[in-house]
Amino acid sequence: MSVEAKLRARARELLEKKEVAAVLGYRAGTRAEVAVPVLISEPGQAETLVLNGYCLQNLATYLPKLRRAGRIAVVATHATSRSIVNLLKERQVERDKLFVLGVPSGELRPVIVDEMFDEVPGLSAKSDDADSAFEARSPQERWDILSAELSRCIRCYACRAACPNCYCPTCFVDASRPRRVGRTNDLSDNVIFHLMRAMHMAGRCVECGACARACPMEIDLARINRKVSRIVRERFGAESGMSLDDPLPLAAFDTEDKQEFIR
Amino acid sequence: MATDAGTADKPAATEPVVFEPRIAAFLCNWCSYAGADLAGISRIQYPASIRVIRVPCSGRVDPFHILRALQEGADGVLVSGCHPGDCHYLSGNYVARRRFAVLHDLLSFFGIEPGRVSFSWVSAAEGERFAEVVREVTEAVRKLGPSNRLAECRSKDSV
Repeated sequence: MSVEAKLRARARELLEKKEVAAVLGYRAGTRAEVAVPVLISEPGQAETLVLNGYCLQNLATYLPKLRRAGRIAVVATHATSRSIVNLLKERQVERDKLFVLGVPSGELRPVIVDEMFDEVPGLSAKSDDADSAFEARSPQERWDILSAELSRCIRCYACRAACPNCYCPTCFVDASRPRRVGRTNDLSDNVIFHLMRAMHMAGRCVECGACARACPMEIDLARINRKVSRIVRERFGAESGMSLDDPLPLAAFDTEDKQEFIR
Repeated sequence: MATDAGTADKPAATEPVVFEPRIAAFLCNWCSYAGADLAGISRIQYPASIRVIRVPCSGRVDPFHILRALQEGADGVLVSGCHPGDCHYLSGNYVARRRFAVLHDLLSFFGIEPGRVSFSWVSAAEGERFAEVVREVTEAVRKLGPSNRLAECRSKDSV
């Protein structure tokens, strides 16, 4: 039996036995090579579920919105499971309201799981070796590249909508009394929006790539996210979403933290 | 905008124009603000480039405040708080230190000059040190010239 067939059978069983109120998974998209999120609550819908290398969207994004929907079974890849860990730590979801159907892919195994399925190849996020070359450039060159890129941002906030970390009822970009960041797509507003978004990702981003895939202007948001993760890893030795026991890096401190940047 | 410290805007006929930066200084109420106060009552001279904003703790300073100051026309930003271990709220400056570390690394990643945004620890007893920090920061920002990377380009009334 294929892993997809096993998932369908298990989803049907969970729904029939009413162990969960709904199953959050993927269904086939309207065109080839796309899988889109789906929430099913009837056993008969289990046949719509798919599981393949295109199941890349981070399903944890939907969990805070489903808090009051009862117990949810969620198909979790490595990235999704790390986001679930973060949401648990940030108390946005409850552990007993989740049933995590883990899907490993190569070395990337889900870190929190109730039931593990067989491997689905091709779900790994791609790392980028161009990062060190970018960082070796001069500050002026880095600014030129990033500002040219961010000047394309149309401030549609698709990155925010796709991100499992962005569950705030009022986002800082929507706060109006006082207004925080300007809402125009003036370059300074765009750069400040993306800097603040990056700050809010520090120690929380799991590099699932959802924001970059959602961006209609194809801005390389993943490059900024990878940098934030590197900063947190190098400075605080923390890896986001890998363990329920680690504190959130920016909500904690060490009296011995490096402070070479302070006069 | 050229009301104060605006020597850069006035063309002098004979003297070379010296750029006087405007620096927003976020000082913690318990240490650095008192340190600035001590510098004042001790009549210690330091550049008039800083505009002091008193905050309850360096932990109150949101990275957003720093970026917004640069956007609204500050040429530099100084954030100063109690020395580690001396925070009035016990751990405010430790938490702030992590936040500032990430912001510092991110700004340099974005190619924004490292000297624009400075952080320091100044206690209430360090009036001379406060003056020294202001001298250093002013000199660093003066070398960099007016801030333009984050300064807003749009007209004010289009918000």
